[in-house]
Parts: sequence; structure tokens; C-alpha cells
Amino acid sequence: MSLRARVLDVDRTLVERPAFAGALVPRVEDDRLLRGEGRFVADVAAPGALECVMVRSQVAHARIRSVDLSAARAAPGVVLAVTVEDLTGISSFPHFHTWAPEVPRWPLAKDRVRHVGQAIAAIVADDRYLAEDAAESVTPELEELPPVGSLDAALAEDAPLVYEAWGHNKMVEFGGEDPAVSRSLAERTVVEGRFSMPRHFAVPLETRCVLAEFRDGRFTIRSTSQIPHIARTTIAAALGVPETTVRVIAPDIGGGFGGKAAVYPEEVLMAWLARHLDRPVRYVEDRAEHMVAASHARENVHEVTVAVDEAGRIEALRARIAYDVGTQQIFPLTLTPSLTGWAVMTGAYRIEHADSTIVNAVTTKTPSGAYRGFGVGEAMFATERIVERAARAVGVDPIEARRAMLLRPEDLPWTTPTGVRIDSGSHLEAFDRCVELTRAALAWTRPRDEAARVGMGVATYLEPTVPTWFGTTGHWSANDAATVSVDPGGGVNVAVGVQTTGQGVETMVASVVAGELGVPLDDVRVVRGDTDLTPYGLGAWGSRTAAVSAGAVALAAREVKAKALRIAAHLLEADPADLVAEAGRIHVRGSAAPSLSWADVGRTATVRVVDLPSGEDPGLEATATYDPPFIEHTADEQGRMNACATYANATHGAVVEVDVETGVIDIRAYVVVHDCGTVLHPQIVEGQVHGAVAQGIGGALFESMPYGEDAQPLATTFMDYLLPGAPEIPTITVDHVETPAEGTPYGVKGVGEGGVVGPAPAIANAVCDALREWDVWIDTLPMSPAAIRRAIREAGG
Amino acid sequence: MKPPPFRYLRPSGEDEVLQLLAEHGDEAKVLAGGQSLVPLLNFRLARPAVLIDLAMVDQLRGVRRDDGHLVIGAMTRQREAETSAEVAAAAPLIPQALGWVGHLQIRNRGTVGGSIAHADPAAELTAVALALDAEMVVRSATGERVLAATDFFEGPFTTALAPDELLTEVRFGVLEGARTAFLELARRSGDFAMAGVAAVNTGSAGTPDVRLAAIGVGGSATRLHAAEDAVRGRDPTDEVLREAGEAASGAVDPPTDVHADSEYRKELLGVLVRRALRQVA
Repeated sequence: MSLRARVLDVDRTLVERPAFAGALVPRVEDDRLLRGEGRFVADVAAPGALECVMVRSQVAHARIRSVDLSAARAAPGVVLAVTVEDLTGISSFPHFHTWAPEVPRWPLAKDRVRHVGQAIAAIVADDRYLAEDAAESVTPELEELPPVGSLDAALAEDAPLVYEAWGHNKMVEFGGEDPAVSRSLAERTVVEGRFSMPRHFAVPLETRCVLAEFRDGRFTIRSTSQIPHIARTTIAAALGVPETTVRVIAPDIGGGFGGKAAVYPEEVLMAWLARHLDRPVRYVEDRAEHMVAASHARENVHEVTVAVDEAGRIEALRARIAYDVGTQQIFPLTLTPSLTGWAVMTGAYRIEHADSTIVNAVTTKTPSGAYRGFGVGEAMFATERIVERAARAVGVDPIEARRAMLLRPEDLPWTTPTGVRIDSGSHLEAFDRCVELTRAALAWTRPRDEAARVGMGVATYLEPTVPTWFGTTGHWSANDAATVSVDPGGGVNVAVGVQTTGQGVETMVASVVAGELGVPLDDVRVVRGDTDLTPYGLGAWGSRTAAVSAGAVALAAREVKAKALRIAAHLLEADPADLVAEAGRIHVRGSAAPSLSWADVGRTATVRVVDLPSGEDPGLEATATYDPPFIEHTADEQGRMNACATYANATHGAVVEVDVETGVIDIRAYVVVHDCGTVLHPQIVEGQVHGAVAQGIGGALFESMPYGEDAQPLATTFMDYLLPGAPEIPTITVDHVETPAEGTPYGVKGVGEGGVVGPAPAIANAVCDALREWDVWIDTLPMSPAAIRRAIREAGG
Repeated sequence: MKPPPFRYLRPSGEDEVLQLLAEHGDEAKVLAGGQSLVPLLNFRLARPAVLIDLAMVDQLRGVRRDDGHLVIGAMTRQREAETSAEVAAAAPLIPQALGWVGHLQIRNRGTVGGSIAHADPAAELTAVALALDAEMVVRSATGERVLAATDFFEGPFTTALAPDELLTEVRFGVLEGARTAFLELARRSGDFAMAGVAAVNTGSAGTPDVRLAAIGVGGSATRLHAAEDAVRGRDPTDEVLREAGEAASGAVDPPTDVHADSEYRKELLGVLVRRALRQVA
């Protein structure tokens, strides 16, 4: 198929570093958001709106015999109560994969419930209190089926089936052995490890919310979505209506972290209810629902075997990777963290050979979805721990072993045995810098008392950025679009297909336009998150936004600028080639007067078109679509592919103090040396790194969503699912190295996700260093005090 | 997470509260700082028909010395008690313990009496009440009872309070010259403790006489008599403190939950007892 060959030529004029890169300008969205003037879905006024609540399953797996809604329908304030049987004209979410079985995904459970928290019925009432009162009266008659509560249970010989039509519980299974890996393992020292992470999930401050209205034959669906255009396409398909009748608006979003990079059943359901009732219907997920109904992530096992030479270098790596992906009743199906993690599992190391077998098993648990880092955190926890063990097995300092393996500038571009093409980076340089800073921090860290031990650890990794989504969705890929237009007053409007969840996309887009056109930042207005007002784009995920939106915005802005200069040249009676646009004015190079404002040009192009040069069409607007280069959208016969346009790199260093009597870990210093290519806005980049490190520390030390064998969730409140607070996060030192990407706009690489990868392995390595007198080994999370004490006891301490 | 309907009453005097309790009994729940009750309402785990808000009952608020006791009104906010010079002078253990209660915002709303009457197994003030031989002043429309702390706490979230009774004040023992410490360990700052201990030493240098009370390791706060005996009158050497820690660990049978297993909590209590004794002995 030609998809694999879709490796585009690089537009060299787009790759150069722009003059505005690195400028410290305030974020344009901050004033509004910090004053509390942001407008989130739950805030949007909708006269006459009804509130919807769900009746959610309390059991993991059951056949639905009947759902008696008569009491609910008779309850005060209730307007409507429905099950899936009432939803006429609705379809299951579309299925695009050719390489994964179809999962039935209806807005409400159909025939079976498959996880605790799955919605069985919806109650629409005048307010949320009354709706909850009515929901209590619904006791579905369920015939319980055996739950599938773990990976082992799912893969057992006689396992109960989550989907009987499949005949097994394996959503997908890939991979096989490479003889070169087998040979290397036969010849070299072999080191093994088994690494796992519990279930984590994104937990944004704002839960999922949907407000749907139906007017004049069209749906307006306000939703907390990272992917409004994809939501529009999908909701239209599920409702069986033309896409032109659906408008999705994602206003201010209170964080996503991957948890909102899905189209959820409630988005389709609210649209159906609004049309059916001819009234706006709002769903505001509460936190208790969010814990079991928003997507989960991780819960993986990586069994790793490596062949190591006498210098501690790994020559070959073999992995057996297994994920518990819950029911997978999620759109898009999220099988690819296992693959994305595998793709970069050999890291920035010159590892010659690698092979894997990967299985994703379904269970009767909340479906897995996207989560910041998308599999890389899980994979690199394994790699950056096994590197330590491999080096020590042959008597080499793990830091020196890493130095011997890390890519050097002369190695690039480097294609890994997994097919990843590493175009550029500062792999050894950033590593050395981080080690230097972490060692310095260690030198001034003294244990507080005789029960304390101090140690340091590092972890280095690649962050795959600007990816295709074809592997995940079987449908969408990597492109995005932007429209730039100049109004009669000289104001610049830019509409982008990417989305923001608060990370500063408006600032980044405005900076690109201002830089390209030579206008002040204040003259640029950014429109996003509304499918009626923006060109088709794929949203915010995959550390893609800066690269793809900068590409589309710059291309459109350059077209607008070229036309503006032609018009200005006509008005100034000059040659367009002699004109420059800077500081909001257009004039002949070397002479500030006469000059024109963008208002002069905008007015001529749009209003006083009689002044246009002959042959020039009215209007000053351009739309461009950008498709990032180097990307392979499907794998070759060996499963290798380069799914991303570029790869950022980073090394994290942690200095920890462990109280050996209580098992408490205190992170005394945390260092990140990061290379995301050209840094457009240093404050946004550092914010992404800080936030992601905090999230990574949460996963490393605190977070876990355990389930019992009965597939009941055991951490259903914030008293049990522990997110880090400010006191738990140390001061983070961030140092940048800037190695421009080879082919992305301005040489930028993504930065949104990578920071989440480093903390687990860096802290685990530091803890093991601190506890070296007992040779403690850590291979799972969270590193809770009880877990650390157990590890010390098991190591004889 | 919205509560079912309830009737909301906001009396302004203690007598009125007691009348309402007599009238509604176990249909009613009193609302103090709301830091535990409001989440329980929202989760529909508590479903009172009547909610009696004590916010306007000023008589229930305040700190005073009385007859060898430090008396704290039930509606005194935890933060008020934590920062009160009178409390610090009479019973420094109280501010030491309150520093561990939730976060500042929680202590601004949460009350001394509310925490004690709620009787969470990990509530710091329940251990303080045991360690300082507190007396609970309990009133109803028909009279007043004064209960020793040991008789007041009956188990997790369970006290000797009858449905028509109100905890009006807590009388903490004042132990002049005692050295005190409160230590606990939680997963995160402000979380409920996996284990915690209040320590009070009324002995003299080299001959300690301590009271120890633990939280988070059982159904309710517990005095650690075996550990107290292990140090009483003995030179507090490392060896003696270790024995006391082991005695503490051996005396409890803590629960297992997602934060820590029973074995860990036992061991942790021993460490905390040893460290607390080092501070006070």
C-alpha cells in the first residue's frame, strides 16, 4: 500500500530558526484564565438546559436482563429516562481498523455491561440533584457473568470471554523473534528483568463535560475535547447524520493529558437527547464517575532480556510486552501505547538488534486510552532499569555504560532496529550535562540522620513527537491546517485545526503569525476549538501541536504576506521584492517612509478593492494544510515503522534520600536536561517539562488504580488515588539544549509528553543507589513507603 | 455527587440544638465544620433527614482554663486551637497534633469537637484526647454527662454519643512541664496517617513516665500501655527505645488498605514510637 511510502520532501524554507524563537513574551491566554474569565463547558449559559446523569454499572460483567425505568420516569423533575433501546437511529462508533477486531461501542450498554462504571441508563431532569435522586431508583436486573480482572485472568486457558465473538481475549498480538537477537543472546552475557506499572490515568482538573443543542436542523455540541474535528466526524457517523449538521465547540479546557483525546459515548448521547427533547442537555461528569468512566492507562508488563558486552553495552534486546487494556470500548481504540513504547525502547542507544512480542488483552475493566507519554514511560522504565542491571552484571558503572552506547552526532541520522529514524539530537551532550548537574547536587546533599541514605540516578530517553495517528485510528494521520486572514482594520485572524487544553497554543500560534507577518502579537487573534470556524485538523495530542500548527500557520501566513506585499508595492509604486514588513508597517527596505500599515493593505484587499493592482483578486486570506515529513503510516513486514517526524531527547537526574526505617523517599534534587529542538517560547516549554515531571513523580511514588480479581476498582476517590500536591514536588532544575529537528517547521520538536517518562526510572535508579548496601531491586510502581520497606526486607535489610 | 434532599436547620443557641436533637434523634445529623460530613452527604453515604448546622451557636466556641483543665468548645475551629497561645501554654501537644490535620484550608473549617465526635481511626485529636486524659462533656435536652476519652471512643466512626446528644466541649488534662511530641506518617502531606503517635512524658530526666496513644493502626485511637511500661523509669537508651517500639508494634493489629499493609503499619508504629520517645524522653 502506498501509505508506507508517504515520506514527504522537507520544505527547507520552513525549517530555519525564526527570529522570534526564545523571546520571553507573556502568554496571551493567561490574563483571561488567571482572572477567572475562562469559559468552560460547565460555565456556558444555555437557557432551558436540562441536566443528564448516568446510571452506571456497579458490577464488572453481566448480562442485562431488564432495566425498569418506571420509577425514575415518575420521579420529581424527570423529563426523560432512556436505555440504549430507546436511542433510535444510533449506531455503534465506526470501526476503521483492518488489524484489530471490532469492539461494539454504543452510547449506553447494550445487552451486556463489561466494566464497573459503564453507563446503563441516562436520566434527564431539571437539575442534577433531582436526576441523581431518580437515578437511585433504577436497579437494573443483571445476570452476573464471571469477571476478567487481570492480565493473567484474561490470558488464562479457560478465561471467560469479554467478547464471545472473538473466541479469546487478545485484542491484538504482534511480533516474533529475530534470529540476530537470538544469536546475540547466545553469545553474550544475558541479563533479564520484569517491569510493570499499575493502572494510571490522566485526571485533569476539569472532568468530562458535554452540552448539546439542536436548532435549525443542526447540532451544536460543546465538549471537553482534545480532538473537536475528529469528534465531529465520529459523532455524525454514530448519529447517522451528515457531518455538515454537526458543530463541535471545545471552549476552554481544564487539562487533558490524553484523557480527552477520545470521543466518548456521552457526546453522542447528549446530541441525541437534545434533538429528541428539543432542549439543550448538559452532562457534567462528577469526580466519582470520572474515576471509572474516563479512560485509564498503563497496567503493563515488560519482560526484558538483553545481551550485554564486556563494556556494559547492550547489543540486543528482546521484550515480551503485555497490556491490560480494559474493555477497549473507547474511540479510537488505544492499542498503540504498547507499540509506541516499543518503537523507542532501545532509546538513544546504539543497540543493534531488538525484537518483541506484544499482546493487548481485554478485561472487564475501564477501557484504556491515551495518556501523556503514550507507552514511552512504561517502556523506558524497563529499559532504563535493565541498563543498570546489565552494566553491573559485567562490572561497569551504569553511567559509563550509557555513555558508551549513546548516539553521537556522527551517528545521525540513526535508524533503530525498531524502524525509528532519529533525525537529530544531543543525546550524549544532554546526558553528560545532566550527570554533571546531578552529581553536583549529590555532592551537597547530606543525609538528615542515621536512618537516611542518599543516592542518585539518571534516566535518558527519546520522546517521539509529531506522530501519525493512523496506527491508532486506522483513519486519521498527521496533517493539520490553518487559515490566516487580514481584516480591513489590519487585524490578523488565524484559525487553526489544533486544539489546546491550557498549554499555551494560542500564544504559540500568535507568535508564529506575528513573526511571519512582522506584526505585533496584540494584533493577532487566534480562533481554535470550533469546527464551524476552523479548517479540519486533528487536535492536541502526540506532542504535535507546535510543529503541525506552525507548519500550517507559517505556510498560510507566507501566502498572505506575499499578496500583501504585492498590494503594498502597487500602492507605494515600488517593487514587491524591495519591501519589508516589520513592526506592523510595510515599507521599502532601508527607508522607513513612506510606509503602509496592515490596515492600509487589509482595507485595499477587502473593501477598497478598486485600489488593487490589476489582476489581483480581492481578499487577503489563505488556508494551508501541513503534512509533516519522514512519517511512515504503517509498519513493514517486520513490524518496523517510523511513526514520527522527529524525536526529542532528554535526561533526568534525581538525588533522593531514603529513610530506611519508614521507606519514605524524599527527592532532594531533580534535574532535567532537555532538547526539544528550537525553543519557540521558553516559558511554555519549561511549564510542559515541570508539569510532566510532576505527573511522572505522581506515577512513580503515589498513583495506582488497583482492581480486585472481581474487577472491582479499589481506588475510586482522591483519598485512594493519590495525586501529588505541591508539597510532594521538589524544585525542578531545567536546562535546555537546542538541536533543531531536520525537517519540522522552525526545527521544533514536541515537548508536551516527554517529561512524564523520566521520573520513574530516574527515581528508581536513585533509590537503588541509595540502598546499595542491601542491593535493593525495584521493578514496579508506585514506590510507596510500604513497597520500599518490603524491598529492603526482601533484600535482607 | 449531590446529596439527597434534607431539611436544613440553623439554630442559634445550644438549648435550641438540644431541643432539635430531642425532636429528631437519629433522623438528624449535626453539621460542624463539614470536612467529613459534606463529602459523606455528597456520596450519599450519610442520608440524614435533618441537618442541624452549628455554625451560629457561638456558645460552643472558645478556649478557657478551668480547674486544671484546658477546655475547648466543640465548635472551636482547629486552626483557632492550633494558633491559640492559651492552648500552646497549657497543652503543647494539641498544636503539635493539629499541624498534621489535613491542610490549612481544612483546619480553617474543621472543628475540634467535629473531629472527635466523627472518630475517624486516623484522627489526630483522638490520640491527643487519650494521651491527655480528656473528658468529653456531652449534653442532651435531659441533662449532661461527662465521659472519659477511653469510654467515649467505641470503634471506627463510633462513639458513646446517643442520637439526641451533642458533644459540647472537650476538657483536656493540663500536665505542667510535660514534654510532648506528635509524629505521624501519611502517603502525602495532609493525608490520613498510616500510623501516628502522641507522646507525653511527665517524668524527670533519666526516669521517663510516658503516655503513648496511636492512630491509624486500629478501629480507634489506642493507648500503648506495653510500650509505656517498657520505658517507665528506665534510662532511655537506644535499646530501651527499641524495646518500646517493638512493644508498640506487638500491641496492634492494623488494617491493610491500598496505602499500606498491616505489617508495614505495625513496623511503622514501632519506628514512630521510638522517634517520639527520643524527642520527649
